[in-house]
Amino acid sequence: MEIEISLAAEPLFQIGPVAFTNAMLTSVLVGLALVIGSLVLYRRWSLVPGRFQGVVEMGIGFIYNLCVGTAGEKVGRRIVPLVGTFFVFILMANWGGLLPGYGVLTIRNFEGHQVPLFRPANSDLNTTVAMALISIATVQVLSISARGVLGYIKEFFEPISFMSVILFPVHLIGEISHIISLSVRLFGNIFAGETLTIVMYVLIPLLVPTMFLGLEMLFGFIQAMIFTVLSIGYIALATAKHD
Amino acid sequence: MQITDVGLIKLAAGLTMALGSFGPAIGIGMAVSKAMEAIGRNPEAEGAIRTTMILGAGLAEAVAIYALLIAIILALVVGG
Repeated sequence: MEIEISLAAEPLFQIGPVAFTNAMLTSVLVGLALVIGSLVLYRRWSLVPGRFQGVVEMGIGFIYNLCVGTAGEKVGRRIVPLVGTFFVFILMANWGGLLPGYGVLTIRNFEGHQVPLFRPANSDLNTTVAMALISIATVQVLSISARGVLGYIKEFFEPISFMSVILFPVHLIGEISHIISLSVRLFGNIFAGETLTIVMYVLIPLLVPTMFLGLEMLFGFIQAMIFTVLSIGYIALATAKHD
Repeated sequence: MQITDVGLIKLAAGLTMALGSFGPAIGIGMAVSKAMEAIGRNPEAEGAIRTTMILGAGLAEAVAIYALLIAIILALVVGG
C-alpha cells in the first residue's frame, strides 16, 4: 500500500484568486458547529444545569480561573472570550480530525486531482499561523493599552542602558519567534500525529491504530491547553506592571 | 552501494530525528522524575502537579516535533 502524505493542504475549488482548501473547509465546519451548538445551548440555558450544561459551565469556569489567576482580574476578564474560543476551537478541530472520513473520502477538484475532502484544520500551517497572529496581535494591543504608546516602545529597549541599541533587535526577534513557535508547535503535533497514524495503519492495520487514536485525543487536548496557556502567559507578561 | 544526493538527504532526515529527539527525551524524563518526587513529598497537590507536568512535557515534546517536521520535509519534499 502506498502512503500519501502531503505537507500542504489540497485545494478543493477556487474563489477568484484564492484556492479554497480542505483544511479551510473543516475549519469553517468546526466554526459553524460551535456557533450552532452555542446558540442551541443558549436558547435552552437554565438556572439548574443539566448534564451537558454542567460540563460547559465547568469548562468556562476553568478557562476563567486560568485567565484571572494568570493575568489578573482586570485583563483576565477581558481576554476570557478570546482565549476560550482558541481553546474550544483547537480542541474541537483536533478531536474532529479523528472522526472517520477525514483523509479517506476523496473528491475530484478543479485541477482534476483526486484529493481528500476533509483534512484536520490544524494540520495546515495556514490555520495555526492565523491563530498565532491573532494571539500575538492581541498581546501587542493589550500591551499598548496597559502601558501607553511610549511605554510600549520603551519595552523594546529594556533594560535602559548603553546596550539598548543591541537589545532592540533581540526583543523584536523574540516577539516574532513567539508567532513561529506557537504556530509550528500546534501544526507539527497534529500533522505528525496524522502521519504517525497513517504509518501505523499501513504497518499493522488491526487494533494498533486505535491505540494511536487514543494517544491523538490526549495530544489534541494537551496542544489546545498549551496554545491557550501560552497565549494567556504572553498577555500576562505584556500587561504586568513593573516596579 | 553508491552514495547519492537523495541517499544523503534521507540520512540527514534520519539523523535529524535521532539527534533532535535526544534533548526532549532528557527534558521530559527530568520533568516526570521531578513531578513524581514532588507528588511523593506532597501527595495532596497531585492534581496541580500533574497538570503542570503534562504542560511542561508538551512544551519539551514540541522541540522533538520541530525535528520531526524538518525530517519529514527533508525526506518527502527535498529528497523526493
